Amino acid sequence: MHPIDWTIIAVYLTWIVWDGLRLTKRSHELEGYFLASRSLPWWAVGLSVMATQLSAITMIGTTGQGYADGMRFLQFYYALPLAMIVLSVTLVPFFRNARVYTAYEYLEQRFDAKTRAFTSLLFLFSRSMSLGVVISAPAVVLAVVLDVSVTNTALLIALPTAVYTMFGGMQAVTWTDVKQVVLIVFGLLAAIVVLVLGLPEEVSVPQALRIAGATGRLQTFDFSFDLTNQYTFWSGTIAAFFLFCSYFGTDQSQVQRYLGAKSVAAARSSLMMSAYWKIPLQALVLLVGVFMFLFYLFTPAPMLFNAVHDREMREGPRAAEYGALEGRFVAANQARRAAGLALAEADAGGDATGRAAAGGEFTSREADVRAIRGEALSLVREATGDQSFNDVNYVFPTFILTHMPVGLIGLLIAAIFAAAMSTISAEMASLSTATVIDFYRRYARKEAPDRHYLWISRLATGFWGLFASGVAIWASELGSLIEVVNRFGSFFYGSILGVFILAVGFRQATANGAFVGLLAGMGAVAWAASFTDVAFLWHNVIGAVVVVVVGLLVSAIEGPRSEAPGAI
Amino acid sequence: MTTETDAPQHYGRVLIVWVVVLVALYAFQEYFSS
Repeated sequence: MHPIDWTIIAVYLTWIVWDGLRLTKRSHELEGYFLASRSLPWWAVGLSVMATQLSAITMIGTTGQGYADGMRFLQFYYALPLAMIVLSVTLVPFFRNARVYTAYEYLEQRFDAKTRAFTSLLFLFSRSMSLGVVISAPAVVLAVVLDVSVTNTALLIALPTAVYTMFGGMQAVTWTDVKQVVLIVFGLLAAIVVLVLGLPEEVSVPQALRIAGATGRLQTFDFSFDLTNQYTFWSGTIAAFFLFCSYFGTDQSQVQRYLGAKSVAAARSSLMMSAYWKIPLQALVLLVGVFMFLFYLFTPAPMLFNAVHDREMREGPRAAEYGALEGRFVAANQARRAAGLALAEADAGGDATGRAAAGGEFTSREADVRAIRGEALSLVREATGDQSFNDVNYVFPTFILTHMPVGLIGLLIAAIFAAAMSTISAEMASLSTATVIDFYRRYARKEAPDRHYLWISRLATGFWGLFASGVAIWASELGSLIEVVNRFGSFFYGSILGVFILAVGFRQATANGAFVGLLAGMGAVAWAASFTDVAFLWHNVIGAVVVVVVGLLVSAIEGPRSEAPGAI
Repeated sequence: MTTETDAPQHYGRVLIVWVVVLVALYAFQEYFSS
């Protein structure tokens, strides 16, 4: 990488830490530190919420998914606007009026201390694990493409973030997020421009999109009802609705954002920003992947995008086999390129029969390339023993480093850092909040000056930063990066949502009902995950429904509840 | 597109935009995949 690009990355890392630390002076008491004194404007909270979701996994994994699989992953987000509306009407005013620091604190007001402690503990467990994955994903990929160790890249992501989050609190998290999301979107748009300019002159953008369409990569709707398929219209609208309600409504990393907004209206408007922009933004990310497919259709592509494995295979005992495979890959790529150009020409000619024939030829050549790449991946798995190896996460970083102009390379790598940091800063802050508010201040030391809690909070943020860095190195052994994060959460998300549904929706629900329901919901999800092929998105539905049904049954057996503060 | 408002019609606007975006995505898929 050119020194200019290294300089851009160094300037970004220094600037973002300085920018976060500048806000330390606004965080001298607990409410200022955790909730920015409930003073943030809606647009800053909204951008911050979007920045948190735009993780480095999105930048690396989702673009790779777009490259390999197309845009069907977009269906995952279709229910998000509906979930935002439901939460704005239901949970947001409850949290705001209860003047709580954490979502789980509200559960003690409504139910009892054990329900609060248990849900907060589940949050701490799942979020700290996923924090490790969120650091690990870009750390592993950046280590390969920048040719440094995973430990170095993990620390380079986690430590600066921990520093500004520790001292600047929610003010720093929010305002750095705002700048980071601008950098990320600019980076993605720049990538699209470079990719489009990289298409051959004789292929227009609509023709290129028709080529992508011929491979099914522009499919954004799959109406088949299959509980084992993650990405269908139905899982995206029904199952994901439960996931988003749970994530935005009960996960402290999200709830803490709108608790920091200056009013209920501001909190609602911040959620509406995601409702409007999340689907278009995710479409943009996936389109980057689709355009990378088109780019590498006409530009020689490496057989493996992971340079380390590529080098190992060339120098290893199965080099001859790998070389032969690469020869076939180059020939298949050339045949696919010719078929792609023929399809574009037929498309321009407007002859439907010729276009259909060219389309058939192209999809056959595309299948050849795919099959050979599949063989190469299998060969790597056999040679390295890494059964989960899949190099889609390396496509975008490899494209950036080999085809972007100097200057933009640094900017795009900085954008990947920004995506990682904007996500983990919010998660570190929320882990610290739950640790201090739900446990330390609740059980260890109930009365102390704000100054004391503030320092404990900073220490807790630092602890979670270090813990997550450790998990990051362990998590690098795990496979598919995108789904791992969601899997961790899906074991608890639906069940915790069920508890909140009982809390705000059912006046008759009792504390024991909610607690037993929560255990039953988690048991049901564990059973579904172990003994059925039901896709993990649906676990959220199972968890929430079982909690509500069992919770209401136990509450009915217990007898009527005398009072239900905070229930609708 | 988003402004700070508490009015219920805000949610109606989100729903309308949601339907328009989904219809546009479906049209995009059909146009380029046919």
